[in-house]
Amino acid sequence: MMSKELSIKNSLIIRESRVFRNGELIFEADQGLSTTKFLKKVYNDQKLKYSKFFKMDELSKLGYLGTEILTNGSIEDKETALVFANSASSLETDVAFAQTMEEFPSPSLFVYTLPNIMLGEISIRHQLRSENIFFISEEFDPLLFIDYTTALFQQEKVENVLCGWVNLHNNDYDVFLWKIANSGGMEFNEEELKKLYLPTHE
Amino acid sequence: MKGVAVTGMGIISAIGRNLNENHLSLKNAKNGITNPEILSTQHSHLPVGEIKLSNAELATILNLPENHSYTRSALLAVHSVKELLENSGYDQFPEGTGFISGTSIGGIDKTEQHFYDYSENPEYRKYIQAQHPGFTTEKIAEYFGLNGFVTTISTACSSSANAIMMGAQMIQSGKLKRVIVGGSDCLTKFTLNGFNSLKILSEEKSLPFDDDRAGLNLGEAAGYLLLEAEEYTSGRSVLGRVSGYGNANDAFHQTASSENGEGAFKAISKALNKAGLSGSDINFINAHGTGTRNNDLSESVALQRIFGKNIPAFSSTKGFTGHTLGAAGAVEAIFSLLSIQYGEIYPNLNFKTSMKETGLDPVTSIQNKEINTILSNSFGFGGNCTSLIFKKDE
Repeated sequence: MMSKELSIKNSLIIRESRVFRNGELIFEADQGLSTTKFLKKVYNDQKLKYSKFFKMDELSKLGYLGTEILTNGSIEDKETALVFANSASSLETDVAFAQTMEEFPSPSLFVYTLPNIMLGEISIRHQLRSENIFFISEEFDPLLFIDYTTALFQQEKVENVLCGWVNLHNNDYDVFLWKIANSGGMEFNEEELKKLYLPTHE
Repeated sequence: MKGVAVTGMGIISAIGRNLNENHLSLKNAKNGITNPEILSTQHSHLPVGEIKLSNAELATILNLPENHSYTRSALLAVHSVKELLENSGYDQFPEGTGFISGTSIGGIDKTEQHFYDYSENPEYRKYIQAQHPGFTTEKIAEYFGLNGFVTTISTACSSSANAIMMGAQMIQSGKLKRVIVGGSDCLTKFTLNGFNSLKILSEEKSLPFDDDRAGLNLGEAAGYLLLEAEEYTSGRSVLGRVSGYGNANDAFHQTASSENGEGAFKAISKALNKAGLSGSDINFINAHGTGTRNNDLSESVALQRIFGKNIPAFSSTKGFTGHTLGAAGAVEAIFSLLSIQYGEIYPNLNFKTSMKETGLDPVTSIQNKEINTILSNSFGFGGNCTSLIFKKDE
């Protein structure tokens, strides 16, 4: 069985009103901004033009923005698999939908009450008809990503994988995206992933 | 390509509390669709596939202590994994057995029952953490002492199909030797109201693939399979094999399927490719067939694109169980393996008129014939399409 070394090509972090690409701070807004306002600022800063953005729930917006920034708006390999996870599932939107149930249940909220809708949004934006999976874990679990992604490569199903931890809970967002390929970057292992994910110190 | 061995199964659904009861209902074309009786809802006119056991009754069957914090999904899951264990030939699951569970609802049932009680009634607060979908999975793992690889998949209505795919992949790549895969979802007000708001619930029993279909009936179920690496299967009964699997995104809409069924087409193609089969090798298709206008047309178009004029016999079993969301992939995997085991094709209930657009007719009465290879489809919101291929063990 093939056991080639896999590489982390690049990475992106969005948390606490900041955006980092490959460890470098590329955008910062006032601390304490609401998630909605912060996301709008990132959207504007990136000069994005994608009207579907405004219909998305916040979880999908986080996934969409992270992907745009990490990939410079272009995913060339349309077979790039998406391997994503989070802890809070779609809880924020679940709550918002549950509140509408008291009077008139909102279909436009209900469609976002699943965390993998974000993968649908990314797939629609980049016209990816590739393999997708979404996991729920208590906390960021590097080994889960490594196991799943390695199996995809071993089976020769893919040449590129976009991995993502996109969590949103009580206005607290935590986005970590990275791309895995056969070569050209740092080694794809637990230690490197943890280093990239852990809160950035200046 | 031999495929990954299935060496145990367990199920609970609206048509039965175990494999035998589910098999008898399928064989006798007996559906489990009624108005809600256990779920308390004002939408009492909407038919559902409900398991007629209360949480208290389930807890008694499972010998749980009075102060347990199992959600309904966890109760259903434990019930079916118990059956799986019994027919697997093991007294208890061997050390290192993995557990991959799919769910789309997690513990929402407990949150909606007790949310307003939390501040006043401390005894309900044990359910606050049950909202986390991973909690339900952990409870099931805890019941059986599973402390190896445990994870939760949430990809809507293809969740448990993806759990089966992932388990097979992990065994084939040598990461796991033995893994329980499947899923569990219960009825909730949340989903009943949500699907109703999308106007895709039928007020009558659903009519999958019929020209007059008017939506789906929600259901609840749990279904699990034990997958084992080849070196552990000698001398044990192999119920069938997972020989192909494929997943693709439809990349069309948050919840609706594309007109040309591109995601389904790609998922089926990938599964055939993985199994090293061509379309003509498929004896039967357990279709996703929810009974919505959109899914059944999109899926039919995908089938035409794959199989041309020679579409194999197909049916949807949603008319028996309702659409059991995250559990549907595992439930229908088990029905597929029953078909292989007994040489039976189970009918697509309530079908009368072919769809104008495609003219396709599903199987409408039970047929007895040798079945070697079955394709089972599960498509979810978010465009997540999964196809699995099961083969007879040879």
